[in-house]
Amino acid sequence: MYNHSKLKLRALFTALVIFVFGVAANAQQITVSGMVKDATTGEPILGASIIEKSTNKGMITNLDGAFTITVASNATLIVKYLGYLTVEVPVSGKRNLVIQLKENSVVLGEVVAIGYGTVRKNDATGSLTAIKPDKLNRGLTTNAQDMITGKIAGVVVTSGGGTPGGGATIRIRGGSSLSASNDPLIVIDGLAMDNEGIKGVANPLTTINPNDIESFTVLKDASATAIYGSRASNGVIIITTKKGEKGSAPRVSYDGNMSISTVRNRLEVLTADAFRALVDTLYKGQNDILSKLGNANTDWQSQIYRTALSNDHNVNVTGGFKNTPYRFSLGYTSQNGIIKTSSFERFTGAFNLSPSLFNDHLKMNFNGKAMWAENSYADGGVVGAAASMDPTQPVRSDSAAFKPFGGYWEWLNSTGTANNLATRNPVATLNQKYDVANSNDFIGSAEFDYKFHFLPELRAHLNLGIDAAHGIQDLYIPLEAAGNSPWGRMGSDTISKSNKSLNFYMQYAKEIDKHKFDAMGGYEWQHFYRKGGSTYQGLKKEVYNKTVKDSVGHSYERKILKTESFLVSFFGRLNYSYDGKYLATFTLRNDGTSRFSEKYRWGLFPAAAFAWKISEEGFMKENSNFSDLKLRLGYGITGQQNLGGALIPDPDYAYIPVYAANEEGALYPFGDTYYDTSRPNAYNSNLKWEETTTWNAGIDMGISNNRITASLDYYYRITNDLINVVSVPSGTNFRSKVISNVGSLTNRGVEFTINAKPISTKDFTWDVSYNVTYNKNLITKLTTGSVEGYIVETGGMFQGSAQAHAVGHPANSFYVYKQKYDANGKPIEVGAFIDPTNPSLGKYKEVDAFVDANQDSIINVKDKYFYHNQNADVTMGLASKILYKNFDLGFTLRASIGNYVYNAVAASNLNVGETGIWNSLLFFQNKPVNSFDANFQGTSTLTFLSDYFVQNASFVRCDNITMGYSFKNLFNAISSGRVYATVQNPFVITGYKGLDPEIYGGIDSSIYPRAMITVVGVSLNF
Amino acid sequence: MKNMIKNISHIFVITFIVIFATSCLDDLNVTPINPQVTQAFDQNGVFAKAYAAFSLTGQKGPAGNIDIDTEITDEGKSALYRCLWNCNELTTDEAICAWGDVEVIELNTNSWSSSNPTSGSIYDRFYFVISIANHFLEQTEGKTDEATKKQRAEIRFLRALSYFHLMDLFGNVPFTEKISLDPPKQIKRIDLFKWVEAELLAIEPDMYEPKAAPYYRVDKVADWLLLSRLYLNAEVYTTVPETKATVNFPATAAAAGTPRWTDAAIYAKKVIDSDYTLCNSYEQLFMADNAGIIDGSTVNKAPVEIIFPIAADGLKTKSYGSSLFLIGSTHTAGMKEWGCSKQGWGGNRSRSTLVKKFFPTNYGSAFFANDSNLTTWTATLVNRKDNRAMFDRKSLAPSATTLAPQTIENISKFKEGYAVIKFSNIRADGKLAQDIEFSDMDIPFMRAAEAYLTYAEALLRGGQIVGGLEALAAVNTLRTRASARVFTTLTLDNIIDEWAREFFFEGRRRSDLIRFGQYAGDNVTYQWDWKGGEAAGKKIDKKYNLFPIPAGDLNANPNLDQNPGY
Repeated sequence: MYNHSKLKLRALFTALVIFVFGVAANAQQITVSGMVKDATTGEPILGASIIEKSTNKGMITNLDGAFTITVASNATLIVKYLGYLTVEVPVSGKRNLVIQLKENSVVLGEVVAIGYGTVRKNDATGSLTAIKPDKLNRGLTTNAQDMITGKIAGVVVTSGGGTPGGGATIRIRGGSSLSASNDPLIVIDGLAMDNEGIKGVANPLTTINPNDIESFTVLKDASATAIYGSRASNGVIIITTKKGEKGSAPRVSYDGNMSISTVRNRLEVLTADAFRALVDTLYKGQNDILSKLGNANTDWQSQIYRTALSNDHNVNVTGGFKNTPYRFSLGYTSQNGIIKTSSFERFTGAFNLSPSLFNDHLKMNFNGKAMWAENSYADGGVVGAAASMDPTQPVRSDSAAFKPFGGYWEWLNSTGTANNLATRNPVATLNQKYDVANSNDFIGSAEFDYKFHFLPELRAHLNLGIDAAHGIQDLYIPLEAAGNSPWGRMGSDTISKSNKSLNFYMQYAKEIDKHKFDAMGGYEWQHFYRKGGSTYQGLKKEVYNKTVKDSVGHSYERKILKTESFLVSFFGRLNYSYDGKYLATFTLRNDGTSRFSEKYRWGLFPAAAFAWKISEEGFMKENSNFSDLKLRLGYGITGQQNLGGALIPDPDYAYIPVYAANEEGALYPFGDTYYDTSRPNAYNSNLKWEETTTWNAGIDMGISNNRITASLDYYYRITNDLINVVSVPSGTNFRSKVISNVGSLTNRGVEFTINAKPISTKDFTWDVSYNVTYNKNLITKLTTGSVEGYIVETGGMFQGSAQAHAVGHPANSFYVYKQKYDANGKPIEVGAFIDPTNPSLGKYKEVDAFVDANQDSIINVKDKYFYHNQNADVTMGLASKILYKNFDLGFTLRASIGNYVYNAVAASNLNVGETGIWNSLLFFQNKPVNSFDANFQGTSTLTFLSDYFVQNASFVRCDNITMGYSFKNLFNAISSGRVYATVQNPFVITGYKGLDPEIYGGIDSSIYPRAMITVVGVSLNF
Repeated sequence: MKNMIKNISHIFVITFIVIFATSCLDDLNVTPINPQVTQAFDQNGVFAKAYAAFSLTGQKGPAGNIDIDTEITDEGKSALYRCLWNCNELTTDEAICAWGDVEVIELNTNSWSSSNPTSGSIYDRFYFVISIANHFLEQTEGKTDEATKKQRAEIRFLRALSYFHLMDLFGNVPFTEKISLDPPKQIKRIDLFKWVEAELLAIEPDMYEPKAAPYYRVDKVADWLLLSRLYLNAEVYTTVPETKATVNFPATAAAAGTPRWTDAAIYAKKVIDSDYTLCNSYEQLFMADNAGIIDGSTVNKAPVEIIFPIAADGLKTKSYGSSLFLIGSTHTAGMKEWGCSKQGWGGNRSRSTLVKKFFPTNYGSAFFANDSNLTTWTATLVNRKDNRAMFDRKSLAPSATTLAPQTIENISKFKEGYAVIKFSNIRADGKLAQDIEFSDMDIPFMRAAEAYLTYAEALLRGGQIVGGLEALAAVNTLRTRASARVFTTLTLDNIIDEWAREFFFEGRRRSDLIRFGQYAGDNVTYQWDWKGGEAAGKKIDKKYNLFPIPAGDLNANPNLDQNPGY
């Protein structure tokens, strides 16, 4: 009888709170027994709540879906179950009832968090998406960001690569800023986080155990985000963590998995024998070069990669002690990277207590989440080094020459010292480096919600939160390491932060006839504090003559940094609805930031949104096809004051004139005394808010009792007063470029989401969801001046810059030379013979190889052109889940179309000629096999900046395929459970020629490869 | 129960009031808590920074917390001396660089545009010095104590030196003597010449007496040497080209420049007669312990000649763009030890035209020089004994029996062309330098030898003899120091070549060639390999006598006109 896995599973993550108050006595009491069933499948529903209308009396269905309740004979029963449409059943004297509940396909939380409150999803006026992590089809989720990847239209999550515990870049509806931060605001249990990582923890999402997450709400348009005012220009991700259940017995559950990570793709390079053969041909007769070849056959890539085992365990206890629901969880994650020596280990602990007092007039919610992580980093350079290291050399050598280097084979100078400019032995690089970050983080919040006794429509809400984190990254490189020979290096980098916040609001909700008001007003105070320091030094005291004078050892650097900022805000929101059909939301927020001078400190951010629930209109109600149809219009302004740390030394104080002290290595002598220097820093006292205005139009629909739901949104966003680093007249400040408010850019796009349940029967259901987003980014203004063709080069590489900002083009567009090709379709190389069989025809010149755009017979910067950009035009996500009896099978696919990548790996390996294999700095370099396609015999800057290397990196990636089997009542101890197997990242379909097409920033210079991961796991409920 | 409810209500009300009453709004008025910054003016710290700006690139050595914004991603590449050097050397018959960086290629082949990052960075670096100087002078306005007076004079010297170089490189440049949000107006080159002259003359009385300043700070002699350099180039700087008048400065009609040969000779002679003399050993000038006693060296006597050193220290004053650039960029793995073996970037080496200044008749024969074999040339060459010919074509050669090719066929091959081994982090006293990565060598940015050549050239061009020293004798003083055969007669051709022999790779060649009419323009007949981007060299447009005003400033400052031709 417990064979309805879907039902049972849904119960696993459903927190159902039923209020049973007092004893209401009434005449003509009868005892009603009944059964609650799923209208479609006929399966019993356990845990459904039965409440007698207008009383506090109620109870919950048992495991068989049955209930017994004593009520007035003329009572009406309200039957509720999360995920189903609530029904009201008149008892009418009947003593036996079978109640059928229809599934509400808009299951994703009837009530969604919208910032300083919640709203019924149906009543939302803004563009927002709420999802609950799908327990069955989520793949391996070490990080919270993995749970939303590809799931939400308009949200693009790009992981930084396969680094264990690594972070990701999240972009909502493209970037609205140019130089300032484009990260969305992340709010965890009402606490707005800062986006600064600490050592070993890439972003705030890493600190949360994904198993603790109840739901995500992503606010996309300004009418939804404007209540967060500042920091909300790039969207808001609200995370709510799980809570316990009132009055329920303790329930223990366990989730765990083991996984094996394998290398999915490697760079194919020449084998040792092929390399020897090539060298023999290229350097025939040059014995001094030939003699440098080795006899070994080393596959360097297999020397650095491994098949790695990882595991993940989570235990949680939920329940309710009297009026205090509780939840405790412990998690442990051990993740080993596919590059040797890299690993990530994390312990998390979380608690939630949500007591309520005075007949629920005072509700409290206490959250604590603690994390401890240890991240062991592998040197990122080994991916490239393993590809280019000479395969004819051994990993280790017994020769005395290599003794000083720990026995690892290395390229040496004639004097026996390490050739510092040669490729390092990647195995030695890994083994001779200890680079470990330890970090801990505590996020705590306390929420108080008080419903006034004398005026229950009025609520006061107080939320106090703190995020305190500390991280330290230790580095130790022994004396033997050739890369740091002969001193080695040790030291550490620490960072601590503590962010505090307080918000308080009052809310008044009232219904008068067909008018429904919900007004809220509040205040928020936030403080962000960060302190960092670093010290590095060599291991060996100096052996040189000045040692006596200088006893500090070989000190490299010492640095301490402290910075803080404050935000103070006032905000208000009015929700109004008429007749449940016409909805309006107005919000206003006034933000003050300590990052701008008093004159420009305050930003006012208004928003308005309207919705029309067409499906509620009489003429639509007859049309049974549309169970839901809603039109939305939104407008709003949001602000940005996060200047982006990389731009300027001190983003918190960019408007204050200060002097920067000097650090180690930057003293200046007069006579024999070394002096400290003091530098006036550039500043801009006119810095002000960057403002993004968003227009949004959307339509939500549900068809066939919401068996199919869909949303379509169009948005247009324009950002003005871009926080941007622009040239100022020389001599007017202490820098030629100063952070200023100059420029505009726009993003426009369309998002479409559809969720459908094509099959829904007793034994067989199929859920499928699909989303697609189109986004176009365009710079419309970049400078105060009017010089035509002004560009800002970005994306610097080893040979100049291949990307630029310019008016009329998307930000960071590729800015390159247009390659010409010969009759065989091969790119023309400058300096190659036009016809190798007939040298008298001469060699190709630059104008033969590249398009001379301005036709001045010289190929120079003026001939560069704009060519695509790193961002996809279209992104899509597709998730499917099939349940058959106790089996489930799901997969998620993700596509990105029109994103381009500069293949820097190919560019840096393009020279396979005489000067490319034996480097002029005296070492051999292996090359990828596909470098021989173009077969370049030399290098030139122009070639590096050729559009030949800007490649279409559109892709379809399968994020995971999961199969599971659910069971119940095992060994009397386990009430239910599931075993599952997942393959994570099994395939990528792409025409891109590099290792992996998914590169944030658009420049592919060997990332940590993303592994294919096979997972087996179990979930048990005791 | 009711009381409790009341209490709870009160708590909320009180909390609410407290929040507003405690005036969290005041929190928005922050003062920086970062120990790395201060809000107070530190006179000695800012003073030291003005000097340090010539050596360091930021507030952290060797890189980090950079002083300027640059289109060059690598901080070290934007260093003041390095960019000045690249603009004045890579664009001439002396040096060529193997690297593929856009800016380097454009300079190598005299084909730069207004977005060249190197000329852009040198512009930014000099305006950085100017802004600091203006700020320092504003902050110390009215202070009359002796120490401040000297500091103010030196700061004005550094500002004048910066404007001098801007005038030399860019011609008409924005000019300001104060920090203000108003975009500076563009000054005409001839007016800037007058300003620099007046400024240098005005500060002289306040400067340290010769040799009385702490080493690394400038004294009156630096002032004189810069004046002599200014007067030597006066004709160039005061020439007014035919072009549309620039805004807001009195328009001057096109006119030929006014030479100031006698003034050049007078101030050069003051330097020659000062307490600065020539160091007996030419090579000691470019070694790790060239601060002499300060470097703990009793052997190296370079400080007797060095008037304005740009400091570098392997531990305390570290930069990728000061002396390490000279040493690192000219060396690479396989060459004889140069003292900072971790840095051998294999970029800059000689063009054949430079080598020919030393070996004009037998160029191409199998000679080579290295530091143990500098003076023992066996070939019968006109200038066979010249200590200054510090080249190496042997240690990079493919084998012991072959030599590196002297003709450069491929600019990007460092091993084509002769390596220059003039600069090293080796100490004259045989001890080891402090670091194998960062150099101890100071750049001899101004040294007394310059006065001898300036003097000789000025006289030869018609300047009046001052105090008896003949032009020929002045030149031969340098040649004798170098163990080179002395001249018996002297021509201007000898002088321009002698400038190369004495000062090659010291960052000044471009101005010398322009003064001699041997640089850019239709009338110029002098070519060097790869001039204008052709292997044999070709004429380059006369616009290349100046660098263009960088695109960034042109865009930001509406008062600016671009130089003709760009």
